[in-house]
Amino acid sequence: MSYVDTSAAVTINPRARRRRLLRRRFLRRPLAIIGLVVALAFVLAAILAPWIAPYSAGATDFNALLAHSSGKHLLGTDELGRDVLSRIIWGARASIEAGVLATMLAMAVAVPIGIVAGYYRGWADAVIARLTDVLLAFPFLIVAVGLAAILGPSLTNATIALGIGAAPALIRVARGEALALREEDYVRAAVANGASDARILARHVLPNMLSTLIVQATVAIPTAIIGEAVLSFLGLGVQPPTPSWGVMLSDAQSYLSQAPRLAVYPGIAIFLCSLSFNLLGDGLRDILDPRTTR
Amino acid sequence: MTRAGASLLEVEDLSVRFDTDDGTVHAVDHLSLALGESEVLGVVGESGCGKSVSFMSLLRLLPETATVEGTARFGGVDLLRAPGSRLREIRGRQIAFVFQEPMTSLNPAFKVGNQIAEVLRRHLGMSRADARSRSIELLRLVRIPSPERRVDEYPHQLSGGMRQRVMIAMALACDPKILIADEPTTALDVTIQAGILDLMRDIRERLGTAIVLITHNLGVVADVADRVVVMYAGRKVEEAPVHELFARPQHPYTNGLLGAVPRAGAGRLREIPGRVPSLAELPSGCAFAPRCPRADEVTRSNVPELRSIGSQHLVACFHPGPDVEAVA
Repeated sequence: MSYVDTSAAVTINPRARRRRLLRRRFLRRPLAIIGLVVALAFVLAAILAPWIAPYSAGATDFNALLAHSSGKHLLGTDELGRDVLSRIIWGARASIEAGVLATMLAMAVAVPIGIVAGYYRGWADAVIARLTDVLLAFPFLIVAVGLAAILGPSLTNATIALGIGAAPALIRVARGEALALREEDYVRAAVANGASDARILARHVLPNMLSTLIVQATVAIPTAIIGEAVLSFLGLGVQPPTPSWGVMLSDAQSYLSQAPRLAVYPGIAIFLCSLSFNLLGDGLRDILDPRTTR
Repeated sequence: MTRAGASLLEVEDLSVRFDTDDGTVHAVDHLSLALGESEVLGVVGESGCGKSVSFMSLLRLLPETATVEGTARFGGVDLLRAPGSRLREIRGRQIAFVFQEPMTSLNPAFKVGNQIAEVLRRHLGMSRADARSRSIELLRLVRIPSPERRVDEYPHQLSGGMRQRVMIAMALACDPKILIADEPTTALDVTIQAGILDLMRDIRERLGTAIVLITHNLGVVADVADRVVVMYAGRKVEEAPVHELFARPQHPYTNGLLGAVPRAGAGRLREIPGRVPSLAELPSGCAFAPRCPRADEVTRSNVPELRSIGSQHLVACFHPGPDVEAVA
């Protein structure tokens, strides 16, 4: 059977080949690359804040209140003489932390619920699906603000509120995937081979929806980042003096006529950070879509 | 190979109904059959005659809209009433199923070796290393070349025929007593088909596995089966040892099927006029009457019972006998 040998020669290492293919597709998408680079820069800035921020977040310079950009303070200072660039770098911590943790929380809540609903159908599915629809009828931020108000102001509570607020959309995605996957022949074959429900969900349903979930996660992160800024702006998230982009925006309100840059710089940070994650998510969605040919 | 001795599987009065929006569909109607040790039973009929449904119902693989009645005795257990945990031990361990679609029946996310090993580890409690070497052995058993390498490949790297071999290897993993193969060759090339059928024969010879071969192709059955059950519209219309069936087909439907098997020098293929009736609105008499050249008033208003004509030959027809041309 010589035909077997030729085909085997082409496919020496399947995983490496798929990785190579995905990498090539990714490199053909400049926007996705920009998204990845900028998002990574924000993550690194958050992690390395103590080393790369020129000043500590609370350090005040009373000789330079509301100062303009200068060599000493690249983006100027605020009303208390705190370095704006440093606060933006420190503030990235709250944003990234809230964005990533809230998304992980949402996944942890939504994926099991969605899978169980979609796989088992029945009355549980009907209840879960209708409840999700009801929750989705409320705008995400309204739910998050309401929950944060109930839980009390703190970054942890804001993260929990954002995670729960993001869950309904993810439940819907996971349920839809499970609904489609339960009809797959290999799921039927696994049942016929005596696999238990838990094993089918863990081995056959979940792994095959991972790429969809990864894309959903990269789309959920920027939403949570903006959500954190909003909650902090409203005083429901990070509490001053801890820096956060939302807190900075809130503080800037009083000085909007004298020093609009105090609002502009954190605004740009929020914009760039969420845009970068969105671009990355779009790129991942494109390359992981099996219908993509380029 | 005959029905002498205790049967491995005894199905009695199996009925399967589906409640749909268009009314109740009787997919299987009072089907009884038995399968002996190491026997190869061919189950033949057109699409939609209930052959797949009846065997899927035995392992309770049908959706919840199906109502299944009757008994299916297997090793002291009634499959249709056994608790779920007991059934899961039987599925894949003692009765294994091979489905029609080899292209989609393997999980694309895992290596084929891991998928075979999963069955071994679950049912036989093998260690990871043992399961792997046994998986390689099984791939060799189903004649996959260079199994040591194939075991680490993903389904998308294998051809349809190879995937079907992997499915069969997975089904054989726990040395089951019964292998139910539902149209195992339909989706494959003719040359690959012959190889798979050859493999089935080999499995029976070497492992003594009883095989149920579900197919719409009488040619496939002639090659491999010991005994044949012909189904039409959810009922068994004829049952006989394979040589008897081919030599003396009794039911006009069997005659029709035989006329539709391509054979060298047999002239034009004959077709069976008409179509399979909708199972939701079966005719009141014999279900085959509307298409039957021998139909008369009796067949149109009465349902024929199965009766024995000769040794091990059952037929449900008021006017049994071979077609004149078929004998010639």
